[in-house]
Amino acid sequence: MIRQEEVPLASILRGDSVFFLKGKPSKEEVVKLLTHGLYPQVRDFVTAKDLYEKVTEVEKLNNVLETGFYIPHAKLAEIDRFYAALAVIPDGSFDPKSGITVKAALLLLTPNRPIFFQQHLNMLSKLSRLFQAAFIDSLTAMKNGAQVAEAVGKSE
Amino acid sequence: MNPPPRFKQVLVLSTAMLSFISFWKAAAVVLCDMGSSAYYAGSIAMNAFGPAAPWYVMAVMIFSGLMLMVYVESCAMFVRGGVYKVVNEAMGHSMAKVSVSALMFDYVLTGPISAISAGLYVSSLLYNILPLLHINWHVPHKLFAILFAVAVTAFFWRENIKGVEESSDKSLKIMIFVSAVGTVLILWALATVYIRGFKLPIFELKFTKESLGWMTNFPYLQTIGLVGIFMAFGHSILALSGLETLAQVYREVGDPKIKNLKKAAFLIFMFSLVFTGGLTFLSSLIIPGDLIAGKYSDNLLSGLALELSGPYWAKLVLQSFVVVSGSLMLVGALNTSLVGSNGVLNRVAEDGILHDWFRHLHKKYGTTYRMINLVAITQIIVIILSRGDIYLIGEAYAFGVLWSLVFKTISLIILRFREDLPRDWMFPLNLKVGKIYFPVGMCMVFLVMITAAVANLMTKRVATISGIIFTAVFYAVFQISENMNRKKARLYAPDEDSEKLNMRKEADIGTILPELDKQRKILVPVRNPNNLVHLKSVLETADDETTDIIVLAVKIARGIQLEGETGDITQEEKDLFTSVVLLAEKYGKTVKPMLVFSNDPFYSIVQVAQAAGVDEIVMGVSGSTGAEVQLESLAMSWGMLKKAGVSRPVTAKVVWEGRQLSYKLS
Repeated sequence: MIRQEEVPLASILRGDSVFFLKGKPSKEEVVKLLTHGLYPQVRDFVTAKDLYEKVTEVEKLNNVLETGFYIPHAKLAEIDRFYAALAVIPDGSFDPKSGITVKAALLLLTPNRPIFFQQHLNMLSKLSRLFQAAFIDSLTAMKNGAQVAEAVGKSE
Repeated sequence: MNPPPRFKQVLVLSTAMLSFISFWKAAAVVLCDMGSSAYYAGSIAMNAFGPAAPWYVMAVMIFSGLMLMVYVESCAMFVRGGVYKVVNEAMGHSMAKVSVSALMFDYVLTGPISAISAGLYVSSLLYNILPLLHINWHVPHKLFAILFAVAVTAFFWRENIKGVEESSDKSLKIMIFVSAVGTVLILWALATVYIRGFKLPIFELKFTKESLGWMTNFPYLQTIGLVGIFMAFGHSILALSGLETLAQVYREVGDPKIKNLKKAAFLIFMFSLVFTGGLTFLSSLIIPGDLIAGKYSDNLLSGLALELSGPYWAKLVLQSFVVVSGSLMLVGALNTSLVGSNGVLNRVAEDGILHDWFRHLHKKYGTTYRMINLVAITQIIVIILSRGDIYLIGEAYAFGVLWSLVFKTISLIILRFREDLPRDWMFPLNLKVGKIYFPVGMCMVFLVMITAAVANLMTKRVATISGIIFTAVFYAVFQISENMNRKKARLYAPDEDSEKLNMRKEADIGTILPELDKQRKILVPVRNPNNLVHLKSVLETADDETTDIIVLAVKIARGIQLEGETGDITQEEKDLFTSVVLLAEKYGKTVKPMLVFSNDPFYSIVQVAQAAGVDEIVMGVSGSTGAEVQLESLAMSWGMLKKAGVSRPVTAKVVWEGRQLSYKLS
């Protein structure tokens, strides 16, 4: 059976999962920081090393979106709900492969079971729709993670 | 930093081969060629062996049903299953060259015999009508026919150089008109027969010295009844001309292809039987023998119209309709001969057996004008040399018709012993031996064909000599060309089914959207010509009437390179689109292939999908990323490009051998 219902973004993105990154980190550094930041939420299910390896494995095939948004993601058999962490990068992270400057990156962890795949696709689509360039710019002007999480929840 | 443009130009494949036709239209195209022989086959046969001719013309038309079935089996194996392809597959390259040379002889003579015959019909009408208008008309029939034939050949020569496509719509309209006139003619003829009574034609064969040919040297053979029957059959066989058109038109037949092909073949058979066979038979019942041999020897159906019971003015009106409909059909056959021969020569040129000089394209029209010139000039020479004598051309004509059919039939028999070829339909009467279906029925057809062909060799001096010379000359041209092409460095490897791709450039996808007006739309991204399983699955299930199938290839250009991209396509992309076209042809379903230049395939797929408002996106699996990653990339692009307020969900599928993933994009 495929679960058709949408997962509210607000339910998986907490204020303490939003990180403001200073300077111009590389894409790899962004992924590392996000993995590190989200790890406390999933530490009961997976080791930090395994989490980072799974995320980077997928990222070899993942592309940055034209809007300047980037969604590193991984599917983990050990979890049974979605997890997310968001990085806001006011100065931008340049991706040489696409020539695009990334200003927001969201790490998404999805349960690795077929019944969650439709929700996973819906979530990717929703994130891509929500994080348009203007919205990302508005996030970079915010002060803290709570504000960002609230803005994301309202815009959803 | 502003991102580079993702989407620069759209190339749309606009080959006519991608629109498919109904079985009615397919039958009409074939009948415009095959049915035209009704206007001259009967009189040529009657001239050759006397009053028994209608029986033999009728027998040939019944036999045409069997030959049509041979062609159905051929088409069921090869979508592009003309004589050349089938003989090449079964008997090799050399025999294929011989068979295609014989076929070219058929094509080269189809034009002159049709055009002269039309000229003779028009002349006979003018001869009756102009005096009523107080115009003295003293132009000899044959001179007029020659001038008429040269003029119409020159006209279609020019049209073919300009690249005007044959239209199946036009063929259907002509056939509707011809059928209407034919029905009136048959009903009126039946009424005449009813009023006057009738005497069936005698079976006795009365060969002229000319029609006996070299058989005059073998008087003992003439006493054998069966030999005479086959000689007479051979003299009537030209009524079968035009069957090859069925193989040419099959690629355009719509889904379900085999079912539609069988329907078209049945229509062709019934029409030919009634029209060619029936009218020849009725002519022999109504027109006095001396008039058949004299006044109406080269315009038999005009004669039939004029010899019916009824007032003269009404018969003259009917004759006018007969002449107009006949002329349309006959000049249509002339055009078909030019189009067909050009197609065949292009096909063999692609295989490297015709020198590249012939493939030179016309500067303005882009047609292979040297091939068209060659055929048209030969046809005009034949018209002039024949001095308007259709009997002479008709005799020679049968050579090409017969031998190309002989080669075709024997090739199909040979191919029965190849198990690897898929067959959707088989000629009936088979004996199953192991995995092989021994073709008893087709062997019997072959026996009749080869016997008639040998009888023709013996009886038709002009046909045998001219046919052998023509075939030998064409074979020599093919052989020399092949040798010359072999010596050349092979700069390209011609695919045996390579397709001439006409691409038109559009700056925006929006300009193409009005062409996509069906209820449902499916987008099928393609990349690898060897991985089209997903397109195949769409073609198998989509309803052509209600569904637009958009086949999208994305030419990847990274970053700044995109700025300088040109609209030219590479050999790799040509191969991809050729495979797409061949697959669409196989299923008889229309596809809209297009190529976009982009630096992100998923972005382009989604952009086209959303612009066109597709219901489904069906992708093949990528060996490098896998199905799930493809769907994820698609979902991200989908969300990024989705316009506010658009809520219609779209199905995204990834299909591979025996499996598929199907999800919704929201």
